[in-house]
Amino acid sequence: MLGASTAYGDNFIDYHSPGRQPHSGVWNPRDIQNYWESYVRGRKYLTFLSTPAVNTENSEVYTRGWLEKKDPFTQTDLLANEEEQVQELILEIRTSPSICHGEILATRLVTLFYDAKEEDFANLGIVVGSLRNFYNFFQLHTDLKCPTISLTPDNNIYASWRVDQKKVFSVLFLPNGDTRFVIFKPNDLHPERQIRISGTATTDILMHTVAPYGVWDWISE
Amino acid sequence: MKGDPIPDQHHIARLCRPKYISDEKIQASAFMVRVGKESLSVNWLEFLKSSSRENEIAELQNIYSKKFNKVEVRAQIAVLNVGEVREKVLAESPDRRNLKVLHNPEINDPSHSGIYNLRHDDEIIIAELILETVRETYPARK
Repeated sequence: MLGASTAYGDNFIDYHSPGRQPHSGVWNPRDIQNYWESYVRGRKYLTFLSTPAVNTENSEVYTRGWLEKKDPFTQTDLLANEEEQVQELILEIRTSPSICHGEILATRLVTLFYDAKEEDFANLGIVVGSLRNFYNFFQLHTDLKCPTISLTPDNNIYASWRVDQKKVFSVLFLPNGDTRFVIFKPNDLHPERQIRISGTATTDILMHTVAPYGVWDWISE
Repeated sequence: MKGDPIPDQHHIARLCRPKYISDEKIQASAFMVRVGKESLSVNWLEFLKSSSRENEIAELQNIYSKKFNKVEVRAQIAVLNVGEVREKVLAESPDRRNLKVLHNPEINDPSHSGIYNLRHDDEIIIAELILETVRETYPARK
């Protein structure tokens, strides 16, 4: 588990107040753009966390910047590396022309990243494998409506498409390329009853797997 | 006492952190259990012996503020009826899952309890069913 930040070496993540950033609340697209610009300027410092996120309650604002490392590989490096991947994937989601609602999705993911970090600084924010799986799903299906996104206790991505409380399609994106899904929908022959289906499928065949249940009709545009 | 089942007519509360909330609505992920944990943490409201639901929530907010380093301003408390949760999941889960809701007191949190018999391989259908039984929500901090 990456949460055990003391497991290797003596390098600890350095969270500190930036002092130079206004406390602006939830990340907005401009924040992501700022990050992107600083990122491409040379990657000496990553300033992904230089802007406060969702915390509007006068708590400390956290900045993270790290210099290129010359030390042997440590747990901190591993965490940093995975966080870099998370950052890159979120930027990919934002900028990919094939991902529908990329801007909204990216902003929401950044918010969730901060929410998870606020709960426990030592964790990854979002599990990179889960995020990659989510990204792949949206690359495969370019006309999806924007889902409601949350994180599981283990910081995997959970996406739900809900229509008038009667139809639900929810997907848990696991780090290994699998998804777990659930479908709740009305039983047309017995309106007082509900059809409930759940299962597991790899991301690439998920939509094929659930197609017989008419899911596409209510999650695509 | 530890391990006592909570009566069906009683109520439990679940602390829902912001990562489980979207547009101020609690999501099913709030009712999934962390890998390696046996149960979903809740609090037994009637155990607090407060005179009203509002007082129970106020007491719970005090407990959270002492127990956790931080309770986020966007965190919420979901209140559930024990019998309704158990009946819903028993009747509508594919394997007719019989959830147990047991008192599991902690030193700094005597009303702490757990929902047991959740599993990781089919967690989301159970979580979605539990979500449908949420009837009341409150802020998790004053």
